[in-house]
Amino acid sequence: MLFSIIGHYSLILGLLISLTLIFFSINNFKNSKSFDTKILSFTFLQFILVVVSFLCLILSFIFSDFSNETVFNNSHTTKPLFYKISGTWGNHEGSLLLWLLVLTLFIFLFLIKTKNQPIKYKILTLVFQQVIIIGFFVFLIKTSNPFNYLYPIPEEGLGLNPILQDPALAIHPPILYLGYVGSSIIFSSALAATSLNMISKKWASHIKKWVLISWVFLTLGILLGSIWAYYELGWGGFWFWDPVENVSLMPWLALTTLLHCVLVLEKKLVLTSWVIILSISTFTLSMCGTFLVRSGILNSVHTFANDPERGLFILIFLFSLIFISLFIFFFFHKPNQSNLNNFFWLSKETSIIINNWFMMYFLSVVLVGTVYPIFLDVLTSEKISVGPPFYHKLIIPFLIPFLLIMAIGPKLKWIKSNLEDKVYLISLLFISFLLSFLIVKNFNSNFLINTILISSALYLFFVTLRDFFIMKKNNISQNIAHFGFSLLILSILFNSLFSTEIITNLKVGETFETSTTKIIFKNINQKKEKNYKSVVGNFSIQNSNGKIDNLSPELRIYNQPNIVTSEADIKTTLLSDKFLVINLVQNQDYFNVRYQVKPFMLWIWLSVLLISLGALISLFKKEYEK
Amino acid sequence: MYGRKVKLRFLFIVLILITLILTAFLVLKSLEENVVYFQSPSEIKLLSELDKKKIRVGGMVKKNSIFITANEVKFIITDFKNDINVTYSGAIPNLFEEGKGVVAEGFLKDRSLFSATKILAKHDENYMPPEVKEALGKK
Amino acid sequence: MKNKLLLLFIISIFTIIFIIFYKGLKNTNVYTPDIKINKEVPSFTSELFYSNEVVKSKEIFDLDKFYLLNIWSSWCAPCRQEHSLLMDLMETKKIKIIGVNYKDTKKNAESFLSELGNPFYQIIFDKEGVTAIEWGAYGVPESFLIYDRKILKKYIGPLDEQSIKEIKFLIK
Repeated sequence: MLFSIIGHYSLILGLLISLTLIFFSINNFKNSKSFDTKILSFTFLQFILVVVSFLCLILSFIFSDFSNETVFNNSHTTKPLFYKISGTWGNHEGSLLLWLLVLTLFIFLFLIKTKNQPIKYKILTLVFQQVIIIGFFVFLIKTSNPFNYLYPIPEEGLGLNPILQDPALAIHPPILYLGYVGSSIIFSSALAATSLNMISKKWASHIKKWVLISWVFLTLGILLGSIWAYYELGWGGFWFWDPVENVSLMPWLALTTLLHCVLVLEKKLVLTSWVIILSISTFTLSMCGTFLVRSGILNSVHTFANDPERGLFILIFLFSLIFISLFIFFFFHKPNQSNLNNFFWLSKETSIIINNWFMMYFLSVVLVGTVYPIFLDVLTSEKISVGPPFYHKLIIPFLIPFLLIMAIGPKLKWIKSNLEDKVYLISLLFISFLLSFLIVKNFNSNFLINTILISSALYLFFVTLRDFFIMKKNNISQNIAHFGFSLLILSILFNSLFSTEIITNLKVGETFETSTTKIIFKNINQKKEKNYKSVVGNFSIQNSNGKIDNLSPELRIYNQPNIVTSEADIKTTLLSDKFLVINLVQNQDYFNVRYQVKPFMLWIWLSVLLISLGALISLFKKEYEK
Repeated sequence: MYGRKVKLRFLFIVLILITLILTAFLVLKSLEENVVYFQSPSEIKLLSELDKKKIRVGGMVKKNSIFITANEVKFIITDFKNDINVTYSGAIPNLFEEGKGVVAEGFLKDRSLFSATKILAKHDENYMPPEVKEALGKK
Repeated sequence: MKNKLLLLFIISIFTIIFIIFYKGLKNTNVYTPDIKINKEVPSFTSELFYSNEVVKSKEIFDLDKFYLLNIWSSWCAPCRQEHSLLMDLMETKKIKIIGVNYKDTKKNAESFLSELGNPFYQIIFDKEGVTAIEWGAYGVPESFLIYDRKILKKYIGPLDEQSIKEIKFLIK
């Protein structure tokens, strides 16, 4: 009760501070001899206010204060403490408060970390950021106030959807938001730099840090979401091309492209328009994602909150940001005319540009697949869904040149002079082709495309692997990231090619047998936990080579809200995962059993970590050099 | 007549345009091939000819209609006006229950038999897929 | 000049996208109820909450009398807020309130009523939400003012002082 009041008023104060800050900034901008320290302290104050508000919400959750509507809707007294706390941002209102928290944190960090840049630029960035912050404050207070008061006070809450009670999902939103919101700084800063016409090499190396930070968080956030889907949803996959997943992939693609453009801009003054457009689109794509997920306009398995009024607000906000940035881009940006002249056809830069075009292509495919159903529904009121085959068909073939360019691109500068390297590159290509031919040989369908695909991934793998040993250039971060990417693609390919699956319905005590595998459903146990009952099925699985695995998947029947979830039992080894999940069919004795062997699952996670590690090294190397 | 630079630039723009058109064509074509349409049991009853393409059928799982054997599940999807029989062998989602909303993806065998390849259910117990809601609402 | 044209082009594209998203947003409530004001109440059969009897709509609504059909659920927060107003309204004795308990469990609904009081003359137990669909409800809570088996007025979302005043005025 008390916390709700404190939290609510902190939010309103925070909004007022935004307005004051804009006022100060305008004054300071006119008279920009020295940076007004008031601005810094007020930004800090705003951050503290949002922190207070956020802590209040957490405390309301911990003490199960059901006079708070958000707590009532999403918590329950029997819930473990960990999920009470993570429940704070597991819902719409709390997650928006988290957005706001990160927004204010980032602008504060930006102000203290940014040195050696013009004062006008700092102030203008602050103003753009405050516009976004005001938008979120108003959105939060008006349409999704996390501190709504409920009277009469209920005795018990409704509980958090059990499917969200998972450690990976508990930290997934904060990490992802750090990535999304990090892109807001890039957005504001790019707009500020454009208006002051100071897009330069210096600016590029300054913004690079922020790009890297957001990129790392976004990557890890997507990874966690995908781990959650794999362990908790029990569908035995890690990526479903579901609109909600796509929505996080789109800013990632844009941000990755931006990262590479910024790297080029840091060395040569080219691609300035690209950098600005990408900075703008990364953030607008993140916002667009929030809009699509939160408004319920998308039909996805993940959407929870449906409220058209909220959607309308984000939509208007989003498009005003887009229009503002378009105007700034067209009226202030002066492209340097010397663009094409400095370009060699065979250079590192050209290869980056070509791959940027590929990334843009992947981005548009994902975008079209995600929003096309909405468009069609509006225009013809036909209901459709776009499935994985669409994405696979359009993306996979283009991965081949993409991977090859990724392998050769970084070498292009010295490829002309060094004969030894040429021999190496060609022989590696030959080896990878031979190797992938041997791998795919026993596999009959889509033989050609699989061979070429795997060989190009292997090629990147070998080339980057070799670079670890020659180490002529100290570009270790890029090398690790590209190596990780080749590993990722290889693991995904092997995973999809060599996964096997058995689905059957079994009664307790029955056995199911194929030529290679024997599944014995031994018995079931029942357990009672604090907030759910569970039924554990004990299975033993016998492979053709006589090896026996015991797997015990679980069915959980949660009491509040009343939901059944399946907990898959997964045996992870270095080379493959064995995945077993059961499901009870209502009022029947049969259990629906699904058994999968998925090679290289672990490597998918590891390679993404490796890619992020590359970015992290690049980030800290920069700091170290200073 | 024109400078080399202008010519080069012109060539560049033409190339970009061609690529764009080609990509757009490619994307649209695969969209056309890969989208899955949604239909309610009543709409299926009214179909003049059976489509060979994959479709989705949505509605409620009819009470007492789930029948399960070792290798398949049979049930009936209803929109309270028309029913359709569904056969399915595959993984069953958690929220698949009698009297709850369901969306099945697969192929039509005839107007009253649907062979599903996938069953979708939603996370949320109170949630009804919008298509199902609409299908149930059309009177 | 070239730039301006490009800008205009891009802006118009974004405007079109905006309009489509906007329309899509309106479409989210794809199910628009066909029930219009002054229309007969839909006929339905449903289960009663306490007795588990099956009733027909004709048996619930008498001619020449005022009814308020209220769709509610124990998990719906706004329902709690309007509940005291419903209690008030019940005490006027001029109107019978029929509850439709929407997608709820009996246990939760009972504890809800024992906590906040029971304003309902009769409660229809609508576990699957089918009856609510027959009525063309958007969601919970929603209320229908009924006279002579006709729907006079429909209130989407929780009732407030204003709407209660209106109802009291109408039933005089």
